[in-house]
Amino acid sequence: MSEIKVVANILHTNDEITSQNRQLLNKKGIYVINMMSSPGSGKTSLLERVISKLKDKVSIAVIEGDLYTTKDAERIEAQGVPVVQINTGGACHLDGKMIKGALESLNLNDVDLLVIENVGNLVCPAAFELGEDIKITVLSTTEGNDKPLKYPRMFENSGAIILNKLDLLQFTNFNQEEFYEDINSLNAHAKIFETSCVKDQGIDELCSWLNQQINHKRGGNVACQE
Amino acid sequence: MHEVSIIQNVIEIATQKALENHLSKINKVSLRIGQLSGVMAESLNFAFDNCIQGTMLEESTLGIEEVRALGECETCNLKFPIDHFNKLCPTCNEFCTSIVRGYELYVNTIEGD
Repeated sequence: MSEIKVVANILHTNDEITSQNRQLLNKKGIYVINMMSSPGSGKTSLLERVISKLKDKVSIAVIEGDLYTTKDAERIEAQGVPVVQINTGGACHLDGKMIKGALESLNLNDVDLLVIENVGNLVCPAAFELGEDIKITVLSTTEGNDKPLKYPRMFENSGAIILNKLDLLQFTNFNQEEFYEDINSLNAHAKIFETSCVKDQGIDELCSWLNQQINHKRGGNVACQE
Repeated sequence: MHEVSIIQNVIEIATQKALENHLSKINKVSLRIGQLSGVMAESLNFAFDNCIQGTMLEESTLGIEEVRALGECETCNLKFPIDHFNKLCPTCNEFCTSIVRGYELYVNTIEGD
């Protein structure tokens, strides 16, 4: 019997395709967000708000991940920006291959900001790189402040975290102090935003920060991430 | 998590490596799984037992070695053990600047005839 050294990354296929996606997106100077959360936290509502405020300043495209429906894509399309729907057919996350296919349907010469809205799921999407510049995780107050510790990887890997549905805070037992403590223990470097789509709260701060990131990337200040 | 798709990739990698090395049978596959990867050994074993039927790995066993997570402190360059909930440098008390180990998902070795 012989032992053979392999040392092969189990997710190598995803990493290879993602690396190609990243090279293409960097070349075009497109700022890419991988937006993740549990189902119903308000990703699409936040996107609708952000698009309506930013679309006159920057050119936006969206990739919508969903198991079966086109419901979210229709909402984004109504905002007048190009959107590509990916139906995973039951799979719980998007991967590099799906993004590659979606990128082929977009005119990347005319995009400054690409938002990839991942499948609603706090577990699996965190493990699959898509070629993004930043992972943004949305948590809504109605989900409870225990979620970051219960699903640590997603919050740990996110460059920014959005606490959404702030208007409902008063009706829940969400403990903001514990939330900040927990995020601090998981990921002290994360930028945190507090928003309410219904009350249009915190969206301007989010947009102005996003605009800075987009301009930074568009301006050619791209750190090679390979 | 997606343990079945992970195991399918493991089978693909192990089979390819076995064929390259003219093995006719794989007896053991050893993985290295990072402590922060979110992959459960128990679920991998379950998926493995079900997915290896009818493959070169049919009679093989699965070895899983957990890789301890390590963070690095930019201030003092110390590499120190971390977990999801504690990433503070024991010397400087600063939050680690980078996670250098802990997300591994590797096929490390195969054994066969």
